[in-house]
Amino acid sequence: MEVIPQLVVSTILLGGLYALIAVGLTLIFGVMRVVNFAHGEFLMLAMYAAFWAFTLLHMDPYLTLFVSLPLFFAVGWVSYRVVMRPVIHASHNAQVFTTVGLSILLQNAALVLFTADAQFLRTDYYTVVLRLGGAVFNLAQTVAFVIAVLATVSLFAFLRWSYTGKIMRATAQDPQVASLMGIDTGRIYALTWAVGITCVGAAGVLLAPIYPVYPTAGLQFVLIAYIAVVLGGLGNMAGALIAAVIIAAVEVIGSYTIGTAWKEVLYLMLFIFVLVVRPAGLFGQRGAEALGT
Amino acid sequence: MKNMKWVAVATAIIATTLGSGAAMAQALQGEYKLGVLEPLTGNLATQGKLHLEGYEVMRDLINTKFGGVMGRKLVLVTGDATDPTAAASEAARLATREGVKIITGTFSSTLCGAASEAAARQNVIYWETSCVDPRFTRRGLKTTFRTEIDGIGFGWYNIEFTAKYLAAKLGKKPNELKIAFLAEDSSYGQSVTEAARERAKKEFGMQEVGAPEYYTFTTNDLTPVILKLKAANPDILHHIARDQDAILFWRQAREQNFQVKAVVHAGATGYGNNGFGKAFGNDANGPFVLAEPGPGIMIDKFRPEGQVIERAFREAMKAKTGSDVPTSGHQLAAGGLWILKLVLDAAKTDNLDPFYAAAMKLDLPVGSALNGWGVKFESTGQNSNERVQHYMLQWQNGSLVTVWPEAFTTNRAKWVPLGAWDQRK
Repeated sequence: MEVIPQLVVSTILLGGLYALIAVGLTLIFGVMRVVNFAHGEFLMLAMYAAFWAFTLLHMDPYLTLFVSLPLFFAVGWVSYRVVMRPVIHASHNAQVFTTVGLSILLQNAALVLFTADAQFLRTDYYTVVLRLGGAVFNLAQTVAFVIAVLATVSLFAFLRWSYTGKIMRATAQDPQVASLMGIDTGRIYALTWAVGITCVGAAGVLLAPIYPVYPTAGLQFVLIAYIAVVLGGLGNMAGALIAAVIIAAVEVIGSYTIGTAWKEVLYLMLFIFVLVVRPAGLFGQRGAEALGT
Repeated sequence: MKNMKWVAVATAIIATTLGSGAAMAQALQGEYKLGVLEPLTGNLATQGKLHLEGYEVMRDLINTKFGGVMGRKLVLVTGDATDPTAAASEAARLATREGVKIITGTFSSTLCGAASEAAARQNVIYWETSCVDPRFTRRGLKTTFRTEIDGIGFGWYNIEFTAKYLAAKLGKKPNELKIAFLAEDSSYGQSVTEAARERAKKEFGMQEVGAPEYYTFTTNDLTPVILKLKAANPDILHHIARDQDAILFWRQAREQNFQVKAVVHAGATGYGNNGFGKAFGNDANGPFVLAEPGPGIMIDKFRPEGQVIERAFREAMKAKTGSDVPTSGHQLAAGGLWILKLVLDAAKTDNLDPFYAAAMKLDLPVGSALNGWGVKFESTGQNSNERVQHYMLQWQNGSLVTVWPEAFTTNRAKWVPLGAWDQRK
């Protein structure tokens, strides 16, 4: 029976994609406590970057990945300085309105510049699949999954053991006390935001050979990424990865057994249930959800 | 006799106006303002913009070569119907601020209901040129008209093609065909699918394998559905896709080596969108798309008056886009606007009662209007499905070409059955 191995593979690969997007969001939403409604639009910009680099410069998306890291770090740094810094100490409402505005701006800029047509980055190897037993692995999705795991582990280690990571967590826990301890919280916020945008930039480049890109392409992923971040526990990298795989499992198994029309209902029901039972998320620290509020 | 009368009127209008196009443009007295509501931003903007372009090209043709509308210069006032809420508020704005008496648009089944309700509240005529939700003309609103066939018509044509053409090509009787249904879950996907299911079963006794699958078009993974389809092993997959979901399905179906003998779709979205061909190039070869006439169509099979407007429109579209073939969006919008002009010219007013009476009187056989359409409105405001001649197109080497009915086209269907994925060259 090749169905069960295939469902398992589909779950893991889809979960990897969601985790890849959730990693950057964990930093921005989980550590900074900023609800970034423009996260999907940064993803979309990165997908376009990969598409145009491939179309105009014949640059392979995996080569573009290396260019995208400094590029999106710069995009993140500049967008923080220009857009987010003025509202970083303002109310959550002000931050929400600002990021919603940024989202609309980026979406419509993409619409004007690139039109609403869905574009697909068709590499020479887009039909290449790997086979193991009865299951089929899409090459690009497999690469994305591996990078998602590496990114999660790296950021987990960075936050846990590096000095800068500890400062980031300290700033998230209590910005005022962190400031009293001599931490330049403004710089830490900028760095966290920029690293978060770098992560989503990398995710976008890796998604480009898998999904079509269009101005609202980020929306279909970002809601799920938010759910993964909250479900896994705010700021918990490993939690977000596991939650992303759980959501993918509910989607894939629900689609196969009950029907595709039910998959969103199923994972949203699970999300609501977990929040009712355990508001800090599956792997979050109790009370952490209230930190920084 | 009635037919002959209307054909004579339409031919006379075309012949007179073509003979003195420039003079006619100068002779137009005043302006006639028409509201156009399309999604120009957001997910549906690709098609919305194509429709707007179709309206604009036909507007220019009407003004420069066909005497305007009611002897006045046609002017379009646009609104952006991004979603149903925006569609309703923009319809109200066009009616109250711009003072239009007729609104045309919105192409999408997710938008036309809300927009036409809002127009009806202002007693404004809603002239739909594309959306196929059957409920659109079944709400008892005297203000709504639709020139395109509805979802039932799409389903009817798809099964007509499957039963009378594909079955023979596959060497089977229609009742020996195994068919599976897959669709995105909007009213468009559902209405076409349910109409096709009903006709396939009741009229032709086709064997439906598996339950119909509906999905949200922004879905990120269709592998579970493909696994179910592989287990069901249909001959025909009737798949109504919306946009990028067609690209996702095709890629994942190839990964899973899903073999089916034919894929049949309807409409300008999904497989009917140029983006599908651009995404896959020659790897797109095979799927059938029910749409307006594409490359290969023999325009000289239309009636004389239909040939005149069709050639004029194609020439104008080529000047605008550089392409010999207008897209479905262009054709639907322009075809609908052309019929609106015929009704307004006959009614000589946009007051609802005489306008409605003129619309009901218009009786043009197939081949008389743009896209080879005919016109005969039902009392609900729906142009009758049998008058809105449709064609089956197929992706062949990066282009959608007309393959059926064979009497109207120079092209022939290929890859029936589809065969292995890497053999469709």
